[in-house]
Parts: sequence; structure tokens; C-alpha cells
Amino acid sequence: MPTAVLLDSSLSMTRPVSVEGSEEFQRKNLAVHGLTMLFEHMATNYRLEFTSLVSFSSLWEVLVPFTRDYNTLQEALNNLEDYDKTCLEAALQGVSNIVQQEWGTSCPCQVVLVTDGALGIGRGSLRHSLQTVKQRVEDKKFPLPFPFPSKLYVMCIANAEELQATDSMDNLEQLINLNGGEGQIYTMEGPLCLKSVQSMFGKLIDQAYSPFHAVLRCGNLTSDVQVFPRPEPVTIDEEVDPMPRTVQTEGDEIGTGATDDTEEETSTNQMAGKSPNFCVLLHGSLKVEGMVALVQLGPDWFGMLYSQADSKKKSNLMMSLFEPGSEPLPWLGRISQLGPASDAAENPYGEDDSKSPFPIQPKHKRSYAQNVTVWIKASGLQTDVQKILRNARKLPEKTQTFYKELNRLRKAALAFGFWELLKSMAELLERECTLLSDSAHPDAAFQLSHAAQQLKLASSGDSKYAAYEHNITPMLTDFSGGGGADRI
Amino acid sequence: MRIFSVSHKTAFVVDHCPYMAESSRQLIECDMLTKSRSQGVIPLAPVSKSLWTCAIECSMEYCRILYDVYPTKKLVNYIVSDSEVHILNSWKQENQNTQELMTALAAVGPPNPRQDPECCSVLHGLVAAVESLCKITEYQHESRTTLMDTADRVANRGRIICLTNAKSDTHVRMLEDCVLETIQEQNKRAAGSDRLMPIQQCELVLVHIYPQGEETLVSDRQKKELSSVLSSEVHSVRAGRYLAGKLNVLVQQHFDLASTTITNIPMKEEQHANTSANYDVELLHHRDAHIEFIKSAQPSFHCMNGLKETVTLKWCTPRTNSVELHYCTGAYRISPVDVNSRPSSCLTNFLLNGRSVLLEQPRKSGSKVISHMLSSHGGEIFLHVLNSTRSTLEDPPSISEGCGGRVTDYRITDFGEFMRENRLTPFPESMVDAACRTPVERAKFQLERHTRYWPMIISQTTIFNMQAVVPLANLIVKDTLTDEDVLTCQKTVYNLVDMERKSDPLPISTAGSRGKGPKRDEQYRIMWNELETLVKAHVGTSERHQRVLDCISACRSKPPEEEERKKRGRKREDKEDKTEKNGKDTEEKGWTTDSERLKGVMEREKDEQSECEIIKDSPDSPEPLNKKPRLATEEQQPPEKSKGPVSLLTLWTNRITQANSRKHQEFAGRLSSVNSKAELYQHLKEENGMDVHENGKATR
Repeated sequence: MPTAVLLDSSLSMTRPVSVEGSEEFQRKNLAVHGLTMLFEHMATNYRLEFTSLVSFSSLWEVLVPFTRDYNTLQEALNNLEDYDKTCLEAALQGVSNIVQQEWGTSCPCQVVLVTDGALGIGRGSLRHSLQTVKQRVEDKKFPLPFPFPSKLYVMCIANAEELQATDSMDNLEQLINLNGGEGQIYTMEGPLCLKSVQSMFGKLIDQAYSPFHAVLRCGNLTSDVQVFPRPEPVTIDEEVDPMPRTVQTEGDEIGTGATDDTEEETSTNQMAGKSPNFCVLLHGSLKVEGMVALVQLGPDWFGMLYSQADSKKKSNLMMSLFEPGSEPLPWLGRISQLGPASDAAENPYGEDDSKSPFPIQPKHKRSYAQNVTVWIKASGLQTDVQKILRNARKLPEKTQTFYKELNRLRKAALAFGFWELLKSMAELLERECTLLSDSAHPDAAFQLSHAAQQLKLASSGDSKYAAYEHNITPMLTDFSGGGGADRI
Repeated sequence: MRIFSVSHKTAFVVDHCPYMAESSRQLIECDMLTKSRSQGVIPLAPVSKSLWTCAIECSMEYCRILYDVYPTKKLVNYIVSDSEVHILNSWKQENQNTQELMTALAAVGPPNPRQDPECCSVLHGLVAAVESLCKITEYQHESRTTLMDTADRVANRGRIICLTNAKSDTHVRMLEDCVLETIQEQNKRAAGSDRLMPIQQCELVLVHIYPQGEETLVSDRQKKELSSVLSSEVHSVRAGRYLAGKLNVLVQQHFDLASTTITNIPMKEEQHANTSANYDVELLHHRDAHIEFIKSAQPSFHCMNGLKETVTLKWCTPRTNSVELHYCTGAYRISPVDVNSRPSSCLTNFLLNGRSVLLEQPRKSGSKVISHMLSSHGGEIFLHVLNSTRSTLEDPPSISEGCGGRVTDYRITDFGEFMRENRLTPFPESMVDAACRTPVERAKFQLERHTRYWPMIISQTTIFNMQAVVPLANLIVKDTLTDEDVLTCQKTVYNLVDMERKSDPLPISTAGSRGKGPKRDEQYRIMWNELETLVKAHVGTSERHQRVLDCISACRSKPPEEEERKKRGRKREDKEDKTEKNGKDTEEKGWTTDSERLKGVMEREKDEQSECEIIKDSPDSPEPLNKKPRLATEEQQPPEKSKGPVSLLTLWTNRITQANSRKHQEFAGRLSSVNSKAELYQHLKEENGMDVHENGKATR
């Protein structure tokens, strides 16, 4: 999950910190020290995550766009300049824009705001922003909550007492509330010094930047893995099951399936040596065979492992998390019902690998996969009537199609209680009968009047003829010889 | 997303009273005469649907869309009301499909205009709907059962959609009051029942249908809370397409749907096969497929007919490039708005035949942005959301840069074979094996068995590089062996013995070690050890697995001194054995099965041993190379051996020790020992910076 660091570069950050020791620090130095610690941690444990550095005062500026290059970030920290007053709203809007431009609105992002808690005065101050938050017009909305899933961490280069003396703490708390409660405020404990800033950033690292280590297990074959980005807990149904689900650190690979579709968010696995590693073996075989492996992440939570290659011939083992639940992909069915193919009476993949038991077809076909009748638009009804008439004119060759279409119309008309249509259709068929040319096959006339007769009977509502399941069958005549041989 | 929201249960109440038989007065011309035939023929009078027909087909359309997008967990109970109540289906999942409803509706038929209007009312249906909402669904039941203590988290909410022809606003109010009263009554009743649940929230949607060309007697009213439990809204709609439009809007509101119009679909013209025109198809799906547009308020949103909101996306001519698939962030089921129009059915058939279509955002300038994809899985079409911005997964490191990435001799092909053998397949719900394990548990169990001994790299194994071992290796991992399987395993072992006798070369890795690698007999020793390790890992599975190990132990070449000892010991043992057996047979019938089996094993072994030894003693078997003074071996013999007859206890103890020694893995030191003396601290010899692997392969 990418991180946007928003660093306060207003003049108040240059206030000296009173320390008994010999060295004199500005608050800015403490902030830089804390961020250095965060960047060092990320460079070692989180080097696949992207981080951006934005500094703000009354204006804001992207110092480093999203990057995995922590040296560049560190360099920027060492070359900070001081500016005027604090205008947080504009800066938050700026962060919101750069994150959306880079990652869109579905990628979760962490925003780390580093400030001394002096949040400005007058217009542009946080206090002013919050007071007017309800009186905004559509295009001047307060930037929180961020449109993307986010966590806002406020790192105060100040201790709690200092912030509570003014309304700064209240304002910051309001800020977190505006973000839907997603986030946390960190303050320094004790005197403002390097040690206390370290301890504060240490807490942030534990909370938001702990690496995700897990064991991938396939029977007795195991491998330690680290997952990037870290899989976050998910709440499935806040009412029935309000506890967020977390990914267990023991990933159980439960078997392989030959599907090649991918859904849901993806995380990449990255391992840090030289002795044989199961992940490399698994990756190699998945790649060669073009298979995916199903992996269990917790009770009723699954995902899949596969080899993903970028365009540059580099490939790695990827894990895609499915939505938690017992049936995450409808075409695989219930995961608990997937068992070893060798237990089946007959190899479901065929002796020569030509078959597959997947996808599983749904019990009922969707409307677009079955020939449903919808007459909401007049054209739908007209098309169906015309189809019958077209076939009526080609009797006896089209006898089968004629009756098939006729029965379809009959069923729908009965279900919709549209008996008037049955009568009209009967009349139309009778008229067709009178319009038959002299050269017409004699069977045509018989079939047309038979069909018309049957429709009229159905339209009477007589249960004997109006039964839904009943089908009108072709009349057996001396000419019909079994009634047409055409197939559709 | 909450499963037990108001949308979990929808009760449709359709008025079947005589006045619903009235014509909607929307005329449909179904006699479309073609020009050539029109001469002299009087066209048929147009047909018109009744209010009832309009209500039915629009509600069926509502259900069709609902079932397409939510095949499970969103349930409909269809009720028809006249002088009595006709409940056409239940909350059961198996009843949730339009075919079943259509069949039931055909049985009900159109309203009978001659029925006494005094006895008919939609009220019967509304009361039945409230009663029905109190009935627990299988999903509610399942959740309540699994949640146990917190079963009260399972809520009971629902919606009643009533399609009727009301007399006036007062009439509407009367209907609302009746629903409210019934809820209060039923909730009291439900409180005392296991199969019923009180209604916590109910949304009443009253749709007043009136014929075209008439003035409405009922006014529209927005949603209003009538009590903490009941809210109600009134829609006054003209029959025909207006009603269809209204229910289409309602189904979208009720189930969080949104609309996407696919534009620029090239389609061959029916008449002129060589020309193609572009068509549009509108699809409904869950709103989340538009999440990116909603949040960033992109301008691709635009309105059609001033009523409907739809997002327009452009068809991209299909190509196959699977890279896009990896950045898919969601898949949502679709339902075409106009399901049987030609453009719709062309698109859906194209997709159902396994093709995919990428969808592009229409832009006047700039590069093209592909944001969605249509594709089907197992007969269902899904709208896939593709990530159109930068991905955090870009430029991942190669796996070769990580741990184990520089090892080059992984058994990739073998593991591929392993994966194919462990592929999954769906089993029917009812299939549970004797141990009550679900299929997925059986799959995990199989993986465990198949990986008990599975070296990951080629240079770590000998047996898996030998074609001759394959039959045994494939069989030994099985949960159960047949006698025939055991025979195949034994044949494999005999075959190996034969190879050893002929001194066939073995595929032992020489990579990394200096010189020619281990000598031939050493190679065979390594091979036999590995084979034993494999089989020992499975020996606990069944008695037949044990027999395979017994066969190996009996047939494998032993260090020569051991052979010698055995030969000498045999005669004596044979004698003892016979007497012992006689004695036991008569005296102690109650010997434990364990010792019985042990005895059986040992006897079988002996037979096999003698068989093998005959081969080994044949003139072409190589001379044992390791001829060493026998002193040490003698020392190891129990003192009793040299002192004439041994006691029964000693004999027995020796046997047990011998049998047991086969059941545990030998100490590495003892295995590589010469005359039971192992050299300690061998590694100190390799002081020139080399480290030695277990398999003797040195790496830098």
C-alpha cells in the first residue's frame, strides 16, 4: 500500500526545542529524524512499497513523486526549506489529487502527516476549515474523507499536553473522524528529544509498517514468505460478522486447479539466500504447467498462487486474495467440496488432459442463456409473431420450427394471462390458410388450421388445453409422413 | 454489504381482482403485413394487454434481472390476491427462478371479470406477504445456527412490492394501515416461534397501475416512515412501457444496480451480410463496477432520456492479451436490459461462446483507457473491472533474486507432475468419506502423504532420477495398497537388486564433487538408503506398506560383514524358530497381534532373504570390496554367541532388537562407519574454505 508523507514546512517547525543537553534542535530536525527512521525501516522491510514526499505551508509541493528509491526520499529530507504559515486543507486536497492521479480510487493508501500541531491562524487554518466544513458547495468540498481507502496518521512533533492547551488536539481528532475514523494521532511522550521522536515513529512502524511474514505450506513442503503489499483485515458483513478477518500467517496450499482467471487484488511475494526454496520450485512448476494453486488464508478464506511475468521476462510468485467466503468464485463451486481428482471414479481431466471439471455450470441458466420471452416492448412481441408467420409460409418444410415457436408464444401468453394474443394469433393463422396459393403443399392447410384450433382452445382457459406444460404437436396427416425433417 | 438487508426478502403482491382484467389501452399491432401481400387483405385489429398482463410481465422482468445479477441470497416470494391468496413459491433457493413462477402464473390465469368484486381484494395478499416475511429463510436459519450466542445479529427485514389498481389516496392509506397492523400482530406471534422471526424493518412499495388515457386517482408519494418498522412509498404509473420503466428503475434502486451501455458494437446486417452497423446494448450490474467513476465523478456519466443514468463504454475489437487480466479488481454479474433484442443476444452469445470484449472509455482526446472487460465463466457473464491507473505491483523483482533463486536444479518437471496428480475436482455436497472429512480436507491429507519425502532438487536425490523406481514411488504414497500394488513394489525392488548385480550405473549427481564421485557400490548404498527413507515415511499407513519396507530391508545389499554374520547365524536361528513355533502354537494362543505380525514379517523376510542371497551368491556378483579384519565385528557379537547355546530370552531380545533397528533411521555416523567405527570431525579436513553439503555436494 503506497504512502504519502505530508511534511509541515511552515515557519513554526523551526522553533527550537528546549533541551538541557548541549545540542539544540529545531522541531523540523526531530521530524526529519523520525522520517529517516521510517524510510530506513521501509528500505529494509518494505522496499516494494511506493512512497511520496510532499511538503506544505500555505502552498504545497511534491518533493519526491511515488518511488521505491528511498535514497532519493532521504536526500529530499536533507534539503528541506522553510516556508510561511500552515494551510492544511489545501495540502490534504493536494495529497488526495496526487494519490488519485497515480493510483486511482480503489488502491488503499496511507497518509502520514508530520506537523508540530500549530495548525495555522485565520483563513486557511485547520480551525477555519473545520468550522466551514458543512457550508461547502459541491466543488469546494473538504478533502476528507479521501475518495480512496485510506489511513491518516498524524505524527505530532509536540506532546499531548501542548496540543490540549489549544484546540489543536480537538481539531486533529475531528480530522480523523472526518476520514471515517480511519487513522490515528501520535504524540510525543516526555520532553521533545530524539529519543521520544524515535519512540513515536516506532509505534507507527509497529502499527502500520510491520512486514507480513507467513509460512507457505504444501503438505510437508514449506517456505517462509513475506507478502507485499501486506494483506489487510477485511470485514465481510458488519452486521452478522462484525469482526474483521485477517489473513493467517500459515498459508495452506490445498491443491491445484487449472483455471487461468484472476480476480481481486493481488499481492506479490518476495523472499530474501541460496539453499533450495519451495517457493521457487512451486513458481517454476506453476509457470511451466500454466497452472494456479489454491491457497487457504484462514477459515473460509482462500486465494490463489500463480506465476506472474512482467514484460521484461522477470516473473515472480503472485498471490491473489479472493473475497472471504466459502464460494468465492462461482465457477469453482464451494471450495470445501473440492477434493483430489484421484478420488473420482473417472479422471475428470481426462487421460490425455483434454477435459476439465471446471467451470461448474449454475443450476439455473441466466436469462440471456435461455430463450426467454419478453414482450415489454411491442417489437419483442411483433418479432415473435412474425417468426411464426414466416415459418407458417414455409410449411411443411418448417413444421418443427413452426410448432416450436408457436409453443413458445403459447407458453408466454398463458403465463402472462394474455389470452387475447392467442386468439389473434389463431386468426392470423387462419388467414394464412386462406392465403395459401394453389401450389402449396396440402399439409400446410391442415397444420395451420390445426394450430389455430389449438390456440383457440388454449385461450378459452379450459384446463385441458391451457396447461402450461402442454405442447401443441403437429397434426399427423397422410401427407406429413412424420411432419417435416427440418432441424434448427 | 449486509446479507440480511431489506433486499434479502422481496414479497411481490399482485392484484388479481376483476378490475385488473381491464385493458391497458396500449395497442400493439401484431399484424405487420409485408407490402407484397397486403393487397386486398384487411389487417387484423391490434391487440392490447390487460392491466394484469402488464403487471405480470413487468414483475417477471424485475425478477429476471434480480436472478441474473443475484442468483442466490436475494429471494422473492410471489403472491397473487383475489378472493383468496395464491402463493406461487416459497423462500427456498430452489424455488427462485422465473420458469417456476411462469408455470405457476399460467395456472392462475388472467383475472376473471365475472368474479364478485365484493369478495376480491389485494388485502388478502398484503396480509399473506407480511406473514411470509416473518418466515425464516434457509440463509437466516443457517446464520442463526452458526452464530449460536450471537444469533440475534441475524436481522429480519424485507420489502413488499404491491402491484394494484387503487381507488383513491384514502384507499392507499387503508392498505398501508392494514400492513402496519398486520406487522404488529404477526410480530407478536413470531416472537414465540422458532420458525418465525419478527419483522424489524419493512419497506412497502405500492405501485398503482392505471390504463393509458385515464387520469390517475392516486398521487405519487415519496418514501415516508409510517412507524419505526414500516416505511411506504406510492408510485402511480400508467400501464405499458411506463410501468416497465418504473420497475426497471426500482430493481436498480433496490439492489444497488447501475447501468452500462456498450456502444459501437459492430454487427453484421441481417439483410446485407457484407455490411455492418454499430449497435448499443445496455447492461445492468452491481453499482460497484462503476466505483471508480462514482468516486472521481468522471464525466463519462451521462443521461439518456433524461431519466436513466448510464455509463457509456466503447467496444474494443477483441484481442487476446492476458496481461490485463492480472490487474482485474472485481467481477460483477450482468443482465441485459433488453434481453431478447438482436444486438443483446448477439453480444451475449458472443461472450457465452468464450470470447472476451475489452471496453474503453470514450474520450475526445488523449490515449485510450481500457477500464472494463466482459467475459463469461461457466455460462455466466461478468463485467470485470480493470485497473486503469498505475499498479503498485509494477516491476516486481524476479523470483531468482530471492531466497533459493540461484539454485538451478529444481525438480520443476517432477513437481509439475506432482501438481497434476494433486489436482482438485468438485465433489457432490453429500460426499463425505468414512472419517467425515470434507473433500478439501482429503486433498490436504493427500498433499501431506505425497510430500513426506520429496527432495526439491535433482542433486539431492537418486531414486527420483531413476525410471526403475517410478512404479514403487507412485504407489507407496497411496492411502491404501492392494496386494497387486505390493507385488509391483516388490518387483521394483527385485529389479533394483538385479541392476546392482549387473552393476548398472546410477544417476548419482557428480556435480560439485571432485573426481568421479562415489564408487558403484557406494552409489547403490546411497540409493538403497534413500529408498528406505521414502518407504519408511509411509510405513505407518498400512500393513501392506510395511511389507514393501520389509522387502527392501531384506533385499538391499548390506555391508559384507553383516552378510557374513547373518549367514552364520541363520542355521541356528532356523532351528530355534521351529521349536519356538511349535511351542507357541500349542501353549499361547493369546499372543498379541503385534508379536504375531512381527513373527510373520520375520518369516517372510527370511524367505525373501534366502531368495535374494541366492542371486547374490551367484558367480557374477562382485567381490565385496570392503574386506576388513573381522576383529571388530567379533567384538560386537554378544558374548553368549561364542559360549554355546543361548537362552530363549537372549534369542528373543536379539530378534526384537533386530526388527526394531529397521524401524528407525540409522544414525548417519553408523551408516557411513567402517566396522562400526565412524571418523569424527571429518569436516576439519576440508579446511580450504569448502563446506560440505549433506549429499556430499560441495558449494562455494
